[in-house]
Amino acid sequence: MSKRKIRQYLLDSLTYISTAISVLALSVIFFFVLREGGSLLSIDLLSGNYHAQGFVGTLINESDETFELGDIIGDKLFTVERYGIVLEQTQDLAGDSVIKVYYVDQASPLRNLNNTDPSANEKIIGLREGMVLRRVSYQEHPTSLTSRGAEAMANDLNDDSREIREVIFSLEGGGIRGSVITTLYLIGLTLMFALPFGILTAIYFNEFAPMNKITKLMRNFIETLTGVPSIIYGLLGITVFVPLTVRLTPASNTNLIAGALTLSVILLPVIIRTTEEALKVVPNDHRFASLALGANRTQTTFKVVLKQALPGILTATFLGIGRVIGESAALIFVLGTAVKDQVRIFEPSTSLAVHIWSMMTDEPANIALSSTIALIILLIVLILNILIKATVFIFSKKGSA
Amino acid sequence: MARKTYSLSKIDSITSKAMMAFGIISASFIVLISFFITIRGIRPFITDNSGLGSVNLWRFLTDTVWLRGPTFISTAYGAGFLVIQTLYLAFLSLVISFPIGVLTALFIAKIAPKPVASIMRGIVELMASIPSIVYGLVGVGFFLPIIYNLARALGQQSPGGNGTLGIVVVLALMSLPTITAISEVSIRSVDKSLEQASLALGASPTQTRFKITLLAAKSGIFSGAILAIGRALGEATAVSLVAGNARSGPNFGLFSINSTLTSTMLEGLKETVGIDYDIRFSVGVLLMIVILITNFVLNFIKRKVGNVNV
Repeated sequence: MSKRKIRQYLLDSLTYISTAISVLALSVIFFFVLREGGSLLSIDLLSGNYHAQGFVGTLINESDETFELGDIIGDKLFTVERYGIVLEQTQDLAGDSVIKVYYVDQASPLRNLNNTDPSANEKIIGLREGMVLRRVSYQEHPTSLTSRGAEAMANDLNDDSREIREVIFSLEGGGIRGSVITTLYLIGLTLMFALPFGILTAIYFNEFAPMNKITKLMRNFIETLTGVPSIIYGLLGITVFVPLTVRLTPASNTNLIAGALTLSVILLPVIIRTTEEALKVVPNDHRFASLALGANRTQTTFKVVLKQALPGILTATFLGIGRVIGESAALIFVLGTAVKDQVRIFEPSTSLAVHIWSMMTDEPANIALSSTIALIILLIVLILNILIKATVFIFSKKGSA
Repeated sequence: MARKTYSLSKIDSITSKAMMAFGIISASFIVLISFFITIRGIRPFITDNSGLGSVNLWRFLTDTVWLRGPTFISTAYGAGFLVIQTLYLAFLSLVISFPIGVLTALFIAKIAPKPVASIMRGIVELMASIPSIVYGLVGVGFFLPIIYNLARALGQQSPGGNGTLGIVVVLALMSLPTITAISEVSIRSVDKSLEQASLALGASPTQTRFKITLLAAKSGIFSGAILAIGRALGEATAVSLVAGNARSGPNFGLFSINSTLTSTMLEGLKETVGIDYDIRFSVGVLLMIVILITNFVLNFIKRKVGNVNV
């Protein structure tokens, strides 16, 4: 083989290697997120609370009878005949190892406990199936802890010489319902603000704007928005939209509305450009035909032209949803970083992406749950990409038919 | 265009005016952003920050330590080293992503058979639409342990793998699809007759691809690089996860912890108030200026380079 040929093979193989690296990069992302977060993905995770509401209760009456729990057997189940409960060694939604209550007998004394929190509305609280048993402390005996495992706790509880002082338990935490709802709200509100605004602006530039220097300047200004980093939009939100919403609405701090307004500005250039591209390909003949039939330009624009720009608007919507789901830096400023379970639009909360950031900057970082959220985001992004392709495919077929 | 040749009816002129309002508002956002952030950003320099004294602008622009003295009490902020580090990291990431991106684009546009090319385009589009926080997460979970082990194998100190190399890898991955997509479009739009002329003169397809096509597409490829640099300079959350937040510098070592303008803006954001919060707006203004100047310089170079005929 000549020297020249070898060089050519080398050069060609460089392009193959580069392509392989690109493919590898995407595979690494999917592989990592699936491996770390795949096992946690469940419906309970999507619908569960993030914060575990805790209770501290004291026994009202010690039981004398023991309970028959013989038929409940499992690999990681431990029965407590003395109180009629079954404990399970398991993991919570966030992947931490916990002791869950698997079964509580109807007559169990742990079903009715005095609430030690004097400010609480409920005076009587009780252990229920699915709750997490954090700690049980006894008179004159060491406390049973989660860290020592369910078996040790069950043995301690069965020990007749021990008298329960306090039972500390909680609802299961680690779910991401709050962040899911916030993200849905953000998508809805942002599209509500940005779509009409962006579409009307695109119509102005394509149908009404005069061809002069001012129009060109305005276009340049809008185009510049694409290059502004999202963290700067966050600063815009905190200086303009947060004070604005605090003044006009019941909000008193960073809030969802301000977040949606900020995201609307981020989406604006994308929506304007995509819609305008769709408007541009509408043939002028259609406009002339409509005008010749006696329609005025307003009617022509909204009834003839805009209708045909529908695929572009649909694409813009999908692109917008993707951007809202992925946005983190701007929302950290405008929406806050505190994960909430009860989402209200005038209060701070976190979107899915901010939830990841919030957990990753905590000590210690929760990589497992972050990866699960990332997996959800990736799946949505994948679906949106397919939808955009499908939109283009369907409408281009229609056009040629 | 034909649309200026007839007069507007009354309703049309009302519609036109109303639409113009939307156009003007959309165009005014960039002005709004610049104005309000600059106003907030210069506040630490011109007010006494509720008794703490104002921040020295010269020190802010040139100092090599983020904050001398205790937080909330001292006003001796410095961000000069952050500018250098931000530029260094962005360009270093381009060193990785640029060749890979351009060569991948060459493969997609000129070498790959049609089905492979369309799959590769899908992959690039998907990579481009993955949010940056996911890149940051993969950086922390996948690349930092590798970097940590690499540093140990080389006998270097590396706190958990955080620092320069982590940031560079994350930024390179993020800017890869941008460079690939834009390069591919410009490579595809190279005039076919140029390539055919090269082939007719006896050059091999490989020679033509590397010496003619790439050179003819260089203006577009350069645009992609400029866009990627802009993204890298402004990327915040992903970088903040892998940076290690160096508070003094400039740091250039591959395994040393590092920081950027954006990571410093996010650092400790959860529990801060007063001057320590306000100064983040000043860093934001500085970031915008850095991006603006970088874009200007790179576009200037592009015009110079682009003028040379192939």
